[in-house]
Amino acid sequence: MATDTPLCLTVDGHAIAAAPGASLIQAWLAAGLPLVENVGCMGQGVCGACRVLVRRQGERIATAALACETRVEAGMQVAFIDHFPARRAHAYDLDAMGDSWAALAQIDAVFPEAKHCRHCGGCDAACPKGIAVEQAVAMAVEGRALAAGALFDHCVMCNLCVAACPEHIAPAHLGQFLRRMASSLTLRPGDLIQRLAQIEAGGQAIDLDAPGCGP
Amino acid sequence: MIAWETALAAPRDPAPAALPLAKEELLRRFHPDHAPGAMVALRVGASAGQDCPAELALLLHANALVEDVDIAGRPTLDAEVLVLGGGGAGCVAALTAARAGARVLMATKLRMGDGNTVMAEGGIQAAIGAEDSLQRHLEDTLRAGHFRADKKLVAAMVADGPDAIRWLIRQGMEFDLEDGEDRIGGRLRRKQPGGATAARLLSHRDFTGLELMRVIREAVLLTPGITVLERCPAVELLTDPHGRCAGAVLLDLERRALVLARAGATLLATGGAGRLHLSGFPTSNHYGATADGLVLAYRLGARLREIESFQYHPTGIAWPPHLAGTLISEAARAAGATLFNGEGRRFVDELAPRDVVAAAILREIAEGRAVQREGCAGVLLDTPGLEAAEPGILAKRLVTLTHLAKRAGFDAGRQPFLIRPTLHYQNGGIAIDATGGTDIPGLFCAGEASGGLHGLNRLMGNALLELVAFGRRAGAAAAEAGREERPRGIGLTHLAAWERGLVAAGLPLGTRAPMLFPPYGNVDLAAMLRRRGAAA
Repeated sequence: MATDTPLCLTVDGHAIAAAPGASLIQAWLAAGLPLVENVGCMGQGVCGACRVLVRRQGERIATAALACETRVEAGMQVAFIDHFPARRAHAYDLDAMGDSWAALAQIDAVFPEAKHCRHCGGCDAACPKGIAVEQAVAMAVEGRALAAGALFDHCVMCNLCVAACPEHIAPAHLGQFLRRMASSLTLRPGDLIQRLAQIEAGGQAIDLDAPGCGP
Repeated sequence: MIAWETALAAPRDPAPAALPLAKEELLRRFHPDHAPGAMVALRVGASAGQDCPAELALLLHANALVEDVDIAGRPTLDAEVLVLGGGGAGCVAALTAARAGARVLMATKLRMGDGNTVMAEGGIQAAIGAEDSLQRHLEDTLRAGHFRADKKLVAAMVADGPDAIRWLIRQGMEFDLEDGEDRIGGRLRRKQPGGATAARLLSHRDFTGLELMRVIREAVLLTPGITVLERCPAVELLTDPHGRCAGAVLLDLERRALVLARAGATLLATGGAGRLHLSGFPTSNHYGATADGLVLAYRLGARLREIESFQYHPTGIAWPPHLAGTLISEAARAAGATLFNGEGRRFVDELAPRDVVAAAILREIAEGRAVQREGCAGVLLDTPGLEAAEPGILAKRLVTLTHLAKRAGFDAGRQPFLIRPTLHYQNGGIAIDATGGTDIPGLFCAGEASGGLHGLNRLMGNALLELVAFGRRAGAAAAEAGREERPRGIGLTHLAAWERGLVAAGLPLGTRAPMLFPPYGNVDLAAMLRRRGAAA
């Protein structure tokens, strides 16, 4: 572990001193600053709420990260990125997809911008989870729905790729569309279906007075 | 206490341990619920006399943040169903109500999805195995909860289980299949949750909650008829002159302004209370878990149940300090990982119910057999042993755990975790019936805020099942109730009786709740409300 000498950094314009090892969120709180937004799971890195731009000492480029997963460093400059709603909804209705032969055509119908990807790499650079976003978008355009959706497996829907995309592709939502389509159209577990049939036929009665229901 | 280096060097005895004490004795002596001074009796309200954690009682004994004069002339929004809370239960309820034709308003303190659901790792229970049954799921749940749960509610939940999984797949959620199984007709991967008698836990790797939450959040965003207000916590419920719940007073955090949300039916899905840090414990909960819904419902006259019972998850991180309290999924133990004390011995059946495992760990710490590292005390979760027994399991099935070790600065395949219990779940809550209805007309409740489904201890995987099963039940019931009702004469008429009760009990009128944000959030709520008053 590092020594306990506090590290100095700047967060949203506040010069603060933080204990080594602290996450950016913990440093913000320990500095006595109020926290009512851009926070959620506080360290697990799954809710995608605490998005920040971070510029490290000696670096020219700022990179996107999650504040709960990023530890303080001396000389860091940090700015929270406020959340915002997507400017255009890519609307679809899974229940109305009907014929699965038509599913692949829906990718272009709902996300027509995807084919305009200019391969700028902005989404890849923005993703704090290291997802190959640009590659996934290209695969979606080719119709490789399951493979493309699988690349978004670790996505926390922080929407940083959405902000980064100059073509308004909304890659995170494209990823969700592909994943949701895959499950709702192709996941049909045999054991689940058998149990549902059994329940519907009255074969799984519950007895509240069985001996196992009391001490 | 045994030093970290000594404990790592000690030979480990893989022999399973018999419980050293009778279960009841272990819980009574070492579970935090039973620590001296942890509980006080409630002095006012519908559950007066009932035991309650002291930190929570302080909030339940408090006065409202707002009074009639504060809400006069405030902008008013109208809906048929008002959902308070945007986690799993709130989103499922909102979807169900909107699809039933109701106009839904969903208000949430943080953003939609930033709750405990997204953090759930292990999975969701549903009795689908050929050797398993709904009856067995019911009995496992009742037994794990020390027979204090409401049998009818649990029966409703377990009976909904298989259909809840079908519903989730229809929304687009993915579940793991057994290796080599087909997507059509194949068998789902099933794990055995601690305290259960059958393999009943369905999952998506070890981030089932993330998979569930991102799917239903997307569904909410795309479903017409749901308006989402983020950064708008409820600060008080509204009533009509007959005592029916008629909506809520919201605090718009961006504009620092109060807004009235008027609704025929109001559904509380405000989650738990981990950020109260009961008995000084760290928590695995999200930043907003401050028991707001309990406070609001209780002030309106709703009964609480099993509020004296909280779940301390056995495996929270003890070291490093910056990750203290962060959860290591039970999936690790379900997959076979074992626990060792500083002497290299196992001390409990790792798959016993969570309250037993947590109490056993606290006993090791209390009796000097814990491991100490840089001032942090805990026991060892043997991930290297698991990886050796089943090479590749960490990378493939315990992704979150592996990532967590990396953030802590070590390789989970080579070094064990130092763990200790972390405050995880509110076992009790607001009393409900099988439709999610509370004692208050027009007020419904679902998810962790509700009580009766887990007794004194919740089984792994029953939280996600509860929020789907009762999110749907409460959402449907609220849609029906909300369409029939057009609230008139709304206000805070319930507060006069509440203040009389506080005075009669000798409690101060100046303590205010809900707290909305934990004290270390540096939020001066009173100043925020005063500033709004001055500006008006």
